[in-house]
Order: sequence, then C-alpha cells, then structure tokens
Amino acid sequence: MALEVSHVVGGYSQIPVLKDISFDVKDGELVGLIGLNGAGKSTTINHVIGLLTPHQGTITLNGVTIQQDSQAYKQQIAYIPETPVLYQELTLREHLEVTMMAYDLDHEQAWATAHELLKTFRLDNKLDWFPANFSKGMKQKVMIVCAFLTQAKLFIIDEPFLGLDPLAVNDLLNLIEERKQKGASILMSTHVLDTAQRYCDRFVLLHDGQVKTEGTLSELQAALPEAGESLNDIYLSMTKVDRA
Amino acid sequence: MTALFKTRLQRHLREMAKYLRLVFNDFFVFALLFLLGGLGYGYSNMLKTLRLGVWWAPVVVLIVLTIVAQIGRFATLIEDADRVFLLPKERAMHAYLVAARCYSQGLAQATQLVAVFLLAPFISVTMGWTVLSIIELGVAQVILKDTLLRMDLASAYQVTGQTRMNRWEFKWVLSLVVLAVGLWTLPLVALGLAVVVDAVVLAWFSQHWQSQQIRWREQIKIEDNRMLGIYRFFNMFTEVPMLTGTVKRRRYLDGLFKLIKPRHDHVYLYLFSRGMARGTEFSGLVVRLTVIGMLLLYFVRGAWLPVVLAALFIYLIGFQLLPFFQQYDSVVFTHVYPILPAQRMHSFVTLMTLILSVTALLLWIVVAIANPHLITAGVTLLVEVVEVWYLARIYTPQRLTRSIENRG
Repeated sequence: MALEVSHVVGGYSQIPVLKDISFDVKDGELVGLIGLNGAGKSTTINHVIGLLTPHQGTITLNGVTIQQDSQAYKQQIAYIPETPVLYQELTLREHLEVTMMAYDLDHEQAWATAHELLKTFRLDNKLDWFPANFSKGMKQKVMIVCAFLTQAKLFIIDEPFLGLDPLAVNDLLNLIEERKQKGASILMSTHVLDTAQRYCDRFVLLHDGQVKTEGTLSELQAALPEAGESLNDIYLSMTKVDRA
Repeated sequence: MTALFKTRLQRHLREMAKYLRLVFNDFFVFALLFLLGGLGYGYSNMLKTLRLGVWWAPVVVLIVLTIVAQIGRFATLIEDADRVFLLPKERAMHAYLVAARCYSQGLAQATQLVAVFLLAPFISVTMGWTVLSIIELGVAQVILKDTLLRMDLASAYQVTGQTRMNRWEFKWVLSLVVLAVGLWTLPLVALGLAVVVDAVVLAWFSQHWQSQQIRWREQIKIEDNRMLGIYRFFNMFTEVPMLTGTVKRRRYLDGLFKLIKPRHDHVYLYLFSRGMARGTEFSGLVVRLTVIGMLLLYFVRGAWLPVVLAALFIYLIGFQLLPFFQQYDSVVFTHVYPILPAQRMHSFVTLMTLILSVTALLLWIVVAIANPHLITAGVTLLVEVVEVWYLARIYTPQRLTRSIENRG
C-alpha cells in the first residue's frame, strides 16, 4: 500500500473543503482522481504533497506520515503541478540540477536519464533557456522531465493533458506506464475522461469534497448499471443526481 | 474616449499621490530642504565669480536645456488589456491619445520653465541677455518640447519597421540645432525655427494618422517601461507591489556559481545565489547602496563619521535583503522538495554573510584610502566584522524564524 489517505478533513481555512475523504493508491497502480471544478481535487493533492495540513485524519506514504519524518515522506514524492511553476532566475539545466540536488540523486546517472527525457520532449537544445522564453506547453514538459528524473515512489500529476501536444501526451503516458512497471504509484487528476478511462487502473470520483465512489471501471459500471458504459457517462449521471 | 482617459488619469493621480506621500515623509523633506538650500547658496556664490562673456557659458546652457528638453515623457496610461478591448475603437483612440498628450504637457512644460527660470540669472550674468530675450528663449524651449511630444504621439501610429519620428537621435539633434541657433544668433530666430518645425510635424501628422494603425504592442511596452521607471523610483523609499524586476543571464558570474558544489545541502544556496545575482531587484539594491556608500565614504572625513556611515550602510543593505528569504515561497517546489527548513535557513545565512562581507570589504577599502589615520580604518574594520557577524548569523535567523511563526 503506497499511499493511504484516511478520513481526511481539511481545506485552506477553518471551513473544510474535504469532508472525510479516504482512498488509497497501491504499488504499481495508476489512480485517476476525477471531479468537477471545485470538487476538491487540487485540495486533496495539496494535502498529499504536504502543502496543507489536514484538520483530521492521516495521510501515510509507505508507512511514513509527514509529521513523523517530513524529509523521508517528501523524498518519495514527485509532483507535476497543473500550472507549471519555475524559478525565473534558473535555466533549464539548472532546474534539472536543483532537482538532482534536492532529491540527492547520483548526478551522472541522473544526467543520463535527463538527456533521454529531454530528447523525448524535444527540449535537449534548450538547456540554457530561461523560463521566460518557454511556452506554456514547454514549461509543462520541463515539469515532467524534472519529476521523472527522480526515483520517486509516488508521482502526483495534476491535470497533465491540457496544453500538451498529442505527441507529448503519448510520451507522458509511456513514461507513466514504464514507471508503473517498476512499481511506482501514480495519482493523477484530470478532466480528460476518455484518456483516463483507457489508462487508469482505478478511479476516485470526488464530488463536493466527498468520495462519491471508487473502483475499477467494471466496478463502477456494476455499481451504476443504468448510467452507461463509459467513464464519461457514469460521471455525468453521478453529478446529475446531485443537481436534481 | 476622452472620458476614459479622464477616469484613468484620476486613478493614476490617486496612486501617485499615495506614493508621493510616502516618499516625501518628514525626514526626506527636511533633507531635501537642506540640499536645495545648499545648492542655491552654492549657485549664487558661483554666479558672483563669473564675468560677462565667458566663452563656455552658451555651451553649458545648450547642454542643460537639451537634456531638460528630453525630460517629461508621453504618458498614455495604456494598459495591456487595451489591445483586446479597445481594438474595435481604434479610430476613436485618437481622442484618447490627444488627451494623453495634453496631460503629458503639464509636468513636461513645468520642468522646461523651471529650468529656464533657474538658468536665467546665469544667462544674464555671463551672456548679458535682457529679460525679454530670456523669455523668448523660454517660449522656444516650450514649443520645442511641444514638438518632441507631438513626435511621440505621431510615432504611436507609425508602421512597425518604419523609421520612427521619436528616435532619440532625432530628438537630440533637433533640440541641439534649435537651441544652438537661439544661443549663437538671436533667441527670436530659435523661436521662429521651433514654430516652423512644430507646424511641419503637425501638418504631417494630421494628414497621416487616419490611414495608420496604432502600434498597440509597442505603445503598451513603452507605457509599461515608463511606469516601471516611476515604480523603481518609489521603490527606493517604500515597497511597491507592482515591481517584480527582470532577469539577466549574467554569464560572467557562472564561474563564481561553480564554486557551490552540487550537494544535497546546497540546494538553496544554489538557488538563492543565482536568484539574487540574476534578478535585478535585490542585486540592484545591493549594488546601488554599496556604490552610494563608497562615494559618500570617499568624501567624508572625521574620526567617527566614516565608522558610523559604514555601519549604517551595511545595516541598510542587510535589512533590505531579508525579504529575499520568502522570494520562492510561491513556487510549490520550495515546499515539495525533500529538504529540511533548517537547511534553507542555513543557506540564506551563508549567502547573507557572503554579500555583507563583500560590501563591508569594499566600504572598508574606501575608508582606508580616504582616511590617512590608521585608527579610523582599524576601528571601521572591527565594527564591520562584528556587525556582519551579528547581522547575518544572529539577527537574520532570529528575525526570519519569528516572521515564519507569525504567519503560520
């Protein structure tokens, strides 16, 4: 059991956005976090990466909580934010170097991985560029390269598919698959449901700060037989119940 | 459209008033009065030593007035969103721009008049001009400035790639020619020349603007730069939230950065050092204050004054660098990286010690050169070492820890 989120109540202020949320991500599993704008996806992610502290409940990553040992906890996580954030004063090369230093990676080995990743995402001739010169998609690719440079056990990817070109989306999915084979877990939030349906092993459907349902696609189909076949249909019917 | 400019102008003036109140605090006004009094006294003393007909007098007037003519920019108050929202109103924007030029005249022309007024006694003493001639020169200067602003306005319409009227070379040459003609022949000739040039520019512009597009992107950039300059000035006295600074590559510093070994505990030293040196905001502050401090210390004499001044400048620099600790709080990775907060603090203290030590050394060298007494230099060194040690190693961590606790 890589990530275990158990009865988490939390949010940005005293008013909780998340109301008693529980789910898990197992080793070698890709879990899709699905929900409308404002359902609590980003809040959940912010709790997992340690940006927010839960009011109640615990988040355990391979037996460690952030309170017990923040460094050991964070060491296992690689994060790709929805909106790319970069250090304005660092070049691409230096971003990679900072990542290597922060995660205490072996530089030679990490650079070998880095060059491969850079080539895949066609950034290998831009090592001396500043973030100001990158387009949004390029910045997103930098985030991906930095994250997959690490040997993290849990990858947290916030809405990766918007803004990336189709080739990059494909490359990213291949990378995810490769890391899954090596036993890493991935928690991914997205609105692109047909892609999610094809690649995720399990889904956590968030609605209004609560876990509406969770399970594999067939489990979801069994739970809501009249909703339809696709994740899209299931999801729409689920939110409709709430609107009615 | 004129109404739009008026509302914007009101908002702009309110904002400026807010900052001006902060700039002209009691202390600064006091210092300014002394400075102006001193300068005025010096000027009047200097006038007494001058005689009629010194050859360099018109040259000085020419240089001063040419420089002054460039002061006072075309303030359009155009905003970035305008190129989307006002695009359908492009023709109507003309009224807006004309209103903007009208407003820009105010401060610009006041500057011209003050300059001519201040130069008047100098002109009358050294060149023997009558009051009437000086007034004629003043009017010529005002019309010249009017032309320069008209050129700015016309350039807002010129096609990208076309040589623009408000290139600085054109402005300088025009100012030099008009003023030189006035100073070496008769001021009335300069006045006539200025009127002719102004009329020519006006005629050209009124024929051309209808068929041209506004250069939105360039005008927005110009206005942004103008505001940036204003904010930079205010930033010397108070915090300006709009100021973010720019990034310069500064490749020549790469050798220095190489000295930081890429180890796990150096992550923040790596980040902070590059961020500090390449961002213009904090590095500019350090360089400015260090240079001012060095200049001041070079001219200051006395047993204790240099010591106190050196200490004061180190304190000022150190104190203003403290917010840099929070520079990267908005970057999520600052929180996600598996690094202990203590390492971040340690890196910041190291950087602080380094910067303040270099500043202290530079200030000390100047003190040692300027003061023949070994004691002054010795005491300064001692005070500086203790201050840098206390400020960077004791005060900085204490204060930053407290501010972190207060926030969270």
